[in-house]
Amino acid sequence: MNSQTLYLRRRITNAIALGLSMFATLIGLAFLAWILWETLRQGISAINLNLFTKITAYGEDGGLLNAMVGSLVINFIGIAIATPIGVLAGTWLAEYANRTRLGESIRFLNDILLSAPSIVLGMFVYTIVVLPTKTLTDGSTTYSGLAGGIALALIALPVIVRTTDEMLRLVPSTLREAALSLGVPQWKLTMQVLMRSARSGIITGILLALARISGETAPLLFTAFGNLYTTVNPMDKMASLPQVIYEYANQAGDGIHALAWAGAFIITMFVLMLSLLARLILSRNKVSHD
Amino acid sequence: MQANEAALAPTIAQEHRAHRDARDDRMFGWLLKGCALLVLVSLVGAAGATLWGGREAFSTFGWGFLTSSEWNPTDDVYGALVPVFGTIITSFIALLIAVPVSFGIALYLSEVAPPWLRTPVASAIELLAGIPSIIYGMWGLFVFVPFFSDHIKPFLIRYLGREAGDVPGTEHVSWIAQHLPFMGKLFNSENLFGGSVLTAGIVLAVMIIPFISSVMREVFQTVPTRLKESAYALGSSTWEVSWDIVLPYTRTAVIGGIFLGLGRALGETMAVTFIIGNKMKLSPSLLDPGASIASTIANQFGEASGLQKSSLMALAFLLFVVTFIVLLIARLMLRRLAHKEGR
Amino acid sequence: MTESAAAGIHPQPTAASTPLAPTKLQVRDLHFYYNGFHALKGINMDIPEKKVTAIIGPSGCGKSTLLRIFNRIYAIYPKLEAKGEIILDDENILDTRYSMNKLRSKVGMVFQKPVPFPMTIFENVAYGIRHHERLSRADMDIRVEQALRSAALWDEVKDKLKQNALGLSGGQQQRLCIARGIALKPEVLLLDEPTSALDPIATGRIEQLVEELKSEYTIVIVTHNMQQAARCSDLTAFMYLGELIEFDRTEQIFTKPGKKQTEDYITGRFG
Repeated sequence: MNSQTLYLRRRITNAIALGLSMFATLIGLAFLAWILWETLRQGISAINLNLFTKITAYGEDGGLLNAMVGSLVINFIGIAIATPIGVLAGTWLAEYANRTRLGESIRFLNDILLSAPSIVLGMFVYTIVVLPTKTLTDGSTTYSGLAGGIALALIALPVIVRTTDEMLRLVPSTLREAALSLGVPQWKLTMQVLMRSARSGIITGILLALARISGETAPLLFTAFGNLYTTVNPMDKMASLPQVIYEYANQAGDGIHALAWAGAFIITMFVLMLSLLARLILSRNKVSHD
Repeated sequence: MQANEAALAPTIAQEHRAHRDARDDRMFGWLLKGCALLVLVSLVGAAGATLWGGREAFSTFGWGFLTSSEWNPTDDVYGALVPVFGTIITSFIALLIAVPVSFGIALYLSEVAPPWLRTPVASAIELLAGIPSIIYGMWGLFVFVPFFSDHIKPFLIRYLGREAGDVPGTEHVSWIAQHLPFMGKLFNSENLFGGSVLTAGIVLAVMIIPFISSVMREVFQTVPTRLKESAYALGSSTWEVSWDIVLPYTRTAVIGGIFLGLGRALGETMAVTFIIGNKMKLSPSLLDPGASIASTIANQFGEASGLQKSSLMALAFLLFVVTFIVLLIARLMLRRLAHKEGR
Repeated sequence: MTESAAAGIHPQPTAASTPLAPTKLQVRDLHFYYNGFHALKGINMDIPEKKVTAIIGPSGCGKSTLLRIFNRIYAIYPKLEAKGEIILDDENILDTRYSMNKLRSKVGMVFQKPVPFPMTIFENVAYGIRHHERLSRADMDIRVEQALRSAALWDEVKDKLKQNALGLSGGQQQRLCIARGIALKPEVLLLDEPTSALDPIATGRIEQLVEELKSEYTIVIVTHNMQQAARCSDLTAFMYLGELIEFDRTEQIFTKPGKKQTEDYITGRFG
């Protein structure tokens, strides 16, 4: 009798716990659906041609053209700086410093940089890029798209370092041995053989880094600052989608909020598309390797 | 003999090539190492730049900077207590919600869900991590905060806290607030609308759930099958195996995952800035607006100058040091598991 | 322990009882350690020129390790150490002054699993040559064709030289790796269980190829397949626990082995 009730109690505990675990998953999925649904609903209804043809100088009657151009330029600068540095640094970790003390430490610190608060990285770039130019220009305009790009590069860097490192470490060591047994020097082996065979993995890393920085706002506020007009000059102040969304969300007015939602929708779609593409490349690559 | 002479020329060429290759390899190695050291430079630079920028605030206010709750640009007096408190309390609320939910998700995905459902659901949860924080901010400000004010806040005040009446003396004190100390203070608010510390904590929780749950799920999968099977063979239920075998086995890494989420929550800027209310006033109530370190910087840095700018830099330095330590602990704990696996 | 004492405990034959050809590779008292583990214990053997020498033995006996010392490929990993001498054309290749470039162009290697580079078929063969010699486009075409012909692959790939090598079948990939190795015109060719990842038909073709290549190259092949050793080698070395137990003409080893351990292994009593 006693063991019967014990057995029953254990079964009930089990059922409740597993039920709760399912409930937790549903909560997670519900928030995902809620956020995506609202972004989709409010965003799509705010999409119109003006978004792509007019600039933010017109406020409620304007569009997001300058912000989109600015975002493209700043993101491009960020990726253009972070990619070569990140790929080479990741290569060093995987090929030259694997299992050395310095290599392990840098790999470890890179993981920390990966989750470091982006706003502090923005202040770092403010200090080393924006402030010094101030003294050069007698204290006039110093914010620039370039500074914004550098800040984003610092955020993209650890993502690229990590994926390159991981992807190169997946390359079988027999490939290294095969090239070295032909008398090929290590730098050629690395650049011409290993990089090529880890290529799609490295590209995935770059796409993920781009997805990561596309939505970054905080570090841009005091590096690229913002601009009511369209510019592609990296030395100018530059608007970006996240920065415009931030400002519009803090202003009053339904029209302004609609523009902010449209911007949010565009960023979300872009980011989701990028991560989907990254996943696709990675999974296709996996299949062809086996 | 002839063959020997003929072989001599290519040998010299080979020596040359060997020298050149060795030199190129060395230079290539230096280039790569230089790039890798930039990672170190970014971290040290970020700490150094904010410390240097904040030196004026630190020297003006000394230790009082940490303990003063006054943040007053008019009088040029700044203390870090309000944003520090706001950062800690929002992150604490976030963990309080995110840890059990993440454990539930990880448990469901590794032990309960039918195999065909696991990958799609896991990818969906990971999608949450991919959504930019500004989108969380938009959604929080325009959707979640109004929803919370309409449906949840009155309920919390009525049943957990203290409700002010129309006329003085007619206030309603909930049963819980009467019997538990502090509850009345925690859930007491005159601001019926707008963001609060609690809403910021909830949105932060949603943001860090994917990080914690994916670490948990990953480490749960490292538990050797024979260990679980031997427990099942003794008649244990799924829950008992998870709680008594899987969780203790992976404890270090699970804590590492939680710290990773905490690190994210501490430094999260935009979402919090949108919904915390941005009020530099210390309030015991979770339903009142507040400020976090990151939101204070985002709000004020653009227009600040002089001592205020320096104080913001000092705040950034504090934030950086604290997140660095939290993330350091997280990575160390996660690495212990990796070593156990023999990777 | 002195050398003579070691030799006294493990008397080791240094060459086949009757020499078949002049010696190409001379191994003298070779010891190998990794992380302190003594993996090869005083190997002595004379590998004759333009013959096929097979090395057999149970897994972990050190046969692959021995092969990987012949072109010093082991040196790319830390904490590995070889002591002793390996004489190739009167020079000790284990001497640190010996040029790696020279060694790698004289000694080619083919690995267990086919490892084509992620490039076109043509580039796979041309890649190594380009590093050692400067050839005109026409000369390079000829060299690549020669190598592919020697590896009995030309007829199968001549129409798709510009395609990615990863598209070839496993057997074709392995022959491509052989072509890549012989394109450098090495003198010694090391084959490390070259057929272990291949099906019987592809294996047959590789064995036939080995037979054809021995007129030009000194071949050392490591195999765990005794039939393979019997079929395509002139000499066979049997290794066990890091020691060379017996080294003799292949028919001698497989018909009248001199040592009990060799006989046990060949008749399948262990391993």
